[in-house]
Amino acid sequence: MNRYERAAVGAVALMLIAGAAIFFYAPTDYLQGPVQRIFYLHVSSAIAAFGCFAVVLVGGVIYLRNESPAADRFARAGALVGVLFTTVTLVMGMLWAKTVWGAFWVWDARLTSTLVLWIIYAGYLLVRRLADPGRQAARLAAVVGIFGFIDVPVVHFSVTWWRTQHPGPVIINDALPPQMLATFLFTMACTVALAAVMIASRYRIETLVDEREQVFEPAKVLVAREPGGVAGPVQ
Amino acid sequence: MTYLVLAYAFAVAALGGYLFWSLRRLRELERIQRGPS
Amino acid sequence: MSPLRVALAVARKDLRSEWRTREVVPALAQFIILALLIGNFGFQIDSRNATSIAPGILWLALVFAGLVAFGRTFAAEREQASLEAMLMTPASPVAIFAGKAAAASLLLIVCEAVMLPALSLFFGTPFSAQVVAAVLIATVGMAALGCLFAAIVARVRARELLLPLLTLPLWIPFIVAGGQAVQSAMGLPGSYSESISLLIDFDILFLVLTSLAARFVLDE
Repeated sequence: MNRYERAAVGAVALMLIAGAAIFFYAPTDYLQGPVQRIFYLHVSSAIAAFGCFAVVLVGGVIYLRNESPAADRFARAGALVGVLFTTVTLVMGMLWAKTVWGAFWVWDARLTSTLVLWIIYAGYLLVRRLADPGRQAARLAAVVGIFGFIDVPVVHFSVTWWRTQHPGPVIINDALPPQMLATFLFTMACTVALAAVMIASRYRIETLVDEREQVFEPAKVLVAREPGGVAGPVQ
Repeated sequence: MTYLVLAYAFAVAALGGYLFWSLRRLRELERIQRGPS
Repeated sequence: MSPLRVALAVARKDLRSEWRTREVVPALAQFIILALLIGNFGFQIDSRNATSIAPGILWLALVFAGLVAFGRTFAAEREQASLEAMLMTPASPVAIFAGKAAAASLLLIVCEAVMLPALSLFFGTPFSAQVVAAVLIATVGMAALGCLFAAIVARVRARELLLPLLTLPLWIPFIVAGGQAVQSAMGLPGSYSESISLLIDFDILFLVLTSLAARFVLDE
């Protein structure tokens, strides 16, 4: 088992413990009933997603400043994992909404801005896929990722800036009973750890793909690298 | 109540599935990279 | 040559080329009139609901026209070649970008000059300086963003698909604030001054950000 797999096992174990806490330790909400338990992973995923998009932002800025391929790879990894966690947030949220509000979707500020966030970073991934790999794709995507991050504070503050149907900031306003708060904080930590493991393994994948396809090499000519390797120009 | 189960089932499937797939991809790429050398 | 003169020269070149071929403005104006017409039939406009639906149709038409107008700024093959030539000069990329964005905005503004009176005519909504001001202020920020993303997708495959996908999310603030501004200017509840100051804030924010980003996107 390589070290990424070991890390993944650790992260999964943590998530299982968090799951146990969510279903057995946290008390049932008086008003909403069992469906309230969606909140723990739903919010944790959102926070993990924000963290991932912050990685995209930082990676993009660093790449624009000194063209570091590593920074670009982190950005790519962050975008993919971030879209994944945003999807989880949206779907869990919709299932909760159907139970509590009777509708899968409302166009309030929080939901709309989160959907926009998903669209923005799905667009980031599309730009990467459609542009010529290498320097051009990295630069263009960096700009998209940096502009896209503007939506993250909008999503976060949407419940305070506008009147929304989505519940307000109960965590920040300290409106949670201690057992729920503890469960949430633990779940959040485990989810962020899982996101970190996913980003790290994706970074490694991108590194290997880049190397194999000579993405950031200045010359697209492959000279014999080792005995038995390919010699001569390769497109 | 079923929506609660559905929600967590989706999360497990999406996150777990992605993790599994990406570790497999990593293994495959490492194998290919080590191959010719 | 100072950046301002570079920008003006680039804008003048683009505008002159449009004047000679006259392809964009007539097509856009036609599109806008059609959009108003379809809006009328699609929404079953009568004198009662006209004022509440008109702002929505205005922004819908403006967004699509804007995507076309700004999408063109960097699209044509000739554009790419002349752009590369310009970038080899010591002229600042931001100035070149500003010139192109200014020219594209002017084209869109000409279309707006057709759209707003037509909207008033067909929907019976008030045609006031307030409505015009809201649209013009929003156009500035939307132009900066639209042209930046047009430059980004210019060298990417499937650019017609990618341009709306990238641009529309960032245009949402303008559509929301602009929509509110136009609604309140047409007599519906809402604060006009609040919406306008929001629009101006967005303009400033995105003008600064796009001018910082322009040189990364344009060169190569």
